[in-house]
Order: sequence, then structure tokens, then C-alpha cells
Amino acid sequence: MKDRKVVCRCEDLTEEEIIHAIELGYDDLESLKRFTGATTGPCQGKGCLMHVIRILSQKTGKSVDEIGVTTQRQPVNPVPLYILAAKKGDEE
Amino acid sequence: MKVAVIGGGVAGLSAAYFLAKSGVDVKVFEQKYLLYGASGRNSGGLTLQFNNEPLIRLAKRTLELYDSIQSEVGFNFLLRKDGYVKIASERDEAKLKEEVEFQRRNGVNVELVEPEFVRVLFPDINTSAFSVASYFADGGVVFPWPVVWGLAKGCRELGVEVYDYTPANVELKGNELIVKANGESYKVDYVINAAGAWSNEISKQVGVELGNKVYKEEICVTESLKPYVDPYVMDISTGVYFSQSMRGEIVGGILGSETTTLETKASLDFLTSYAKRITELVPKLRGMAILRQWAGLYDVGRNGMPVIGETKVKGFIQLNGFGRHGMSLALAAGEGVAELIMKGRSSIIEPFKP
Ligand SMILES: Cc1cc2nc3c(=O)[nH]c(=O)nc-3n(C[C@H](O)[C@H](O)[C@H](O)COP(=O)(O)OP(=O)(O)OC[C@H]3O[C@@H](n4cnc5c(N)ncnc54)[C@H](O)[C@@H]3O)c2cc1C
Ligand code: FES
Repeated sequence: MKDRKVVCRCEDLTEEEIIHAIELGYDDLESLKRFTGATTGPCQGKGCLMHVIRILSQKTGKSVDEIGVTTQRQPVNPVPLYILAAKKGDEE
Repeated sequence: MKVAVIGGGVAGLSAAYFLAKSGVDVKVFEQKYLLYGASGRNSGGLTLQFNNEPLIRLAKRTLELYDSIQSEVGFNFLLRKDGYVKIASERDEAKLKEEVEFQRRNGVNVELVEPEFVRVLFPDINTSAFSVASYFADGGVVFPWPVVWGLAKGCRELGVEVYDYTPANVELKGNELIVKANGESYKVDYVINAAGAWSNEISKQVGVELGNKVYKEEICVTESLKPYVDPYVMDISTGVYFSQSMRGEIVGGILGSETTTLETKASLDFLTSYAKRITELVPKLRGMAILRQWAGLYDVGRNGMPVIGETKVKGFIQLNGFGRHGMSLALAAGEGVAELIMKGRSSIIEPFKP
């Protein structure tokens, strides 16, 4: 277990696993995050997006600008269903 | 023979895969990343609970193809056949009953059941929130992403060029079909229009009026739970549906509605409506948090049927209009289109011809 460089803590992904996925051809950010699960854990990428972009840039030679940032999916912080359910239609 | 497929969703990739198996030279053009279209945004529900015989046949064949293709291409589609349940409130009882009778007459092993029966399948369902259900035991859920990736892998291994981030346009010059993409022109014998919600535009480029309607549908996932929801549940009275993914998230949404703009913004309105109904149906989910939400676009063909087959423009083939059921239908449709091109006809897609 030496040298296990964790990139995404939420999904427990190492740098090696990210690189492997890029080598399989998932070499754009949208595909890479879906294939590996990186950036899709409870923190929604706050802890890992920049690392993933760095690795992708190093492997593909694309600049960080070219890679772009993936669409931020709402909600930014997880909201429980009962709060959402209470927001609407009390008149019904 | 040269074929260009426009659209890298499940429909286009399936056609490409079957053509490549017959040795045809195929190129697939996807304007963004694979999974950008509805095929990357859907809930993966698989069923044969349809209202007409041609759709049932297409869905039956598609279910078979999931099994064979996933072993051929060596990719796990995470397919679970734990049942597909349609539930309904009192006012829709007659409709559901009629549907079940029709399906049974057409050889679909579906049953009309009481709420109590559903509770045995899924103990946390609130049986007072609906009054009747239709249960199809062999239906279930597939994870759409590996389906798309697996088909793309299968295609590439058979020599298909799958171009992502490559928007394509079609031109008709005399009776020659030219596809323009990558700054290049490709002269081809066939163009397959599998552009989903964008199919109308592609069709217009060769002067064929398609007239599919575009729908937008919203969906969301909760944080992960241990696996406990087996079937796919669809409430036909409110359009709310849910299932559990292999990662344990509860994936759920509300059936889409027609839109005139091709945008995929997610709304708070959706979340509150969904939250309200899902917590009625499954009160135990109240404390679960929504982690992500998104929207997708799909196209619905005339009379709600897909549009599959050659148009008045020789070589220009429609493979679109799958509406809310592309995951259940499109593999067999792609196989049918490949057969049409190779043999001149295919009976399974005949009823859907443009
Ligand atoms: C929220 C939601 C839930 C759903 N749930 C289910 C379900 O449970 N069960 C089910 O069976 N179905 C479901 N569906 C429907 C299903 O997703 C679709 O029917 C199916 O994915 C359609 O596949 P397709 O290949 O025809 O289209 P798409 O997957 O949309 O593919 C078309 C592709 O064409 C590309 N394209 C467009 N124009 C061009 C161009 N000019 N050049 C190159 N590429 C282009 C697009 O980018 C797109 O990727 C759902 C859909 C949504 C949105
Ligand atoms: S660290 Fe990657 S999603 Fe949280």
C-alpha cells in the first residue's frame, strides 16, 4: 500500500486509477468524472476537482482552460427531502 | 458501403455496433461527450408494459440484446431484473387495468396487483398512497452509462470511428449524401439520424420534415443508502418515479413535459414537487438529502411512436423519437436499422417507418 496517492477522498480514488481511466480513453473531464466517480461524492468535487483537472492536463497536454470546469449541479449543499417537501403546496 | 451515424446515444451506437458486426465502414459523430444526450441522463427503467404490439416486440428484443451485448463487448451494464411496478391512484385504475389486459393478451407476463403486494416487494412503500399496481417481474433497471460506454467500446473494437466533441451536418447534393464534420466532408451511402432531441434539425438539413416533439424531464439522486429498493416504481397518476442505483442512491424524477427550447436547466420547482410526492410514497426517505439534480431532453415521434426507417431521401434513415422509452427500445431499433441497410428490410422496425 505504499505510495497510495488519494485524489478523491469521498470516492476513495487514487491518482493511479484516474490515470488508468484516462488511458482507457475517458480523456475529457465529463467522461472521466462519470467513469471514475471522481467529483461525484458527498462533497461534489470541492475536495478533488482541481486535482483531477491537473492530472488530466498533465496526461493529455491540454491546458486547464481547454479542459474547462464541469457543470456545477445544484444543489450546492445537500438538502433533505422533508425540507423541500414542506416548501410547497401546504394549501393542497 | 459507408455509413455515418449522427448522435452518440444508445440508438446511434446500437445501429453502429450492428452494422460494424456486418463489416460495414461506420463513423459515429457526437456533438459533445458521450452521455451528453438523454442516454446519459435517464433513469434506466426497462419494461414491456406498452400499449401496442410493435412497441412490445421492440422492447422484448431489446431486453434480450442487453444480455448478449454486455457479454460480447465485455462490459457490465449493471442490469437488475427485479421488476417494474406501475402504481396508480383510484382515478387511473380503469386505465391501468385495461393496459394490463392488453399486455397479457400480447404475451407479456404482467399482473394487476394490490398495494399490499407491492409492500411485499418493497416494505417501505406507503400502501395508502395508491390504490392499484401493475407488476412486470422481468423488468428492471439498467445503468445507462456503461451501456453507452460498452456500445462505444464494442464499436471501436470493430473498427468504428466514434468522434466525440464533433458536431456534424448533412448536405444533399443531387442525390449524394455528404456529412460535414471536423472541417471535412464525408460522402456516404447512408446517414442515420439518431440525434435525439436534435433530430428535427438534422432532418431539415436534407429537406425532410420530421416533426418530433421535444420533452424536457428532470431527475435527481439522494445520498447513498444500503441496497433496499429492488423494483423500478412508476406512479402513473403523478408521473413520479424512483429506483435505486447500484451505488445506493435513490434515483427519481417526474415524467417530462413538452418544451420549445433545447435547454437543460434544473429547477427548484421540480425538487419541491418531487420531494412532496416521494415522501408520501416512501415516508422513510424524509431525512434523505438530495445530492444532485439535472434535466434531459428527449424527442417523441408522431402518435407517441418512434420514427425508424428510410425517408423519401434515399439513404437518409431516421432512428429517433424514442420519447421516454429509449432505454427499453433502442437496442432492437438499432439492430433493425442495420438489418434494413444490409438486407433491404426489417420486419421489427417496419411499423415505425417514417
Ligand atoms: C430524465 C430522463 C429519464 C428517463 N428515463 C427513462 C427510463 O427510465 N427508461 C427508458 O427507457 N428511457 C428513459 N428516458 C428516455 C431515454 O433516455 C431516451 O429515450 C434515449 O436515451 C434516447 O436515446 P437516443 O440515442 O435516441 O438520443 P440521445 O441519447 O439524446 O442521443 C442523441 C445524441 O445526438 C447528439 N447530437 C445532436 N445533434 C448532433 C449533431 N449535429 N452532431 C453530432 N451529434 C449530435 C446529442 O448530443 C446526443 O448525445 C429518460 C430520459 C430522461 C431525460
Ligand atoms: S473528494 Fe472527490 S467528491 Fe469529494
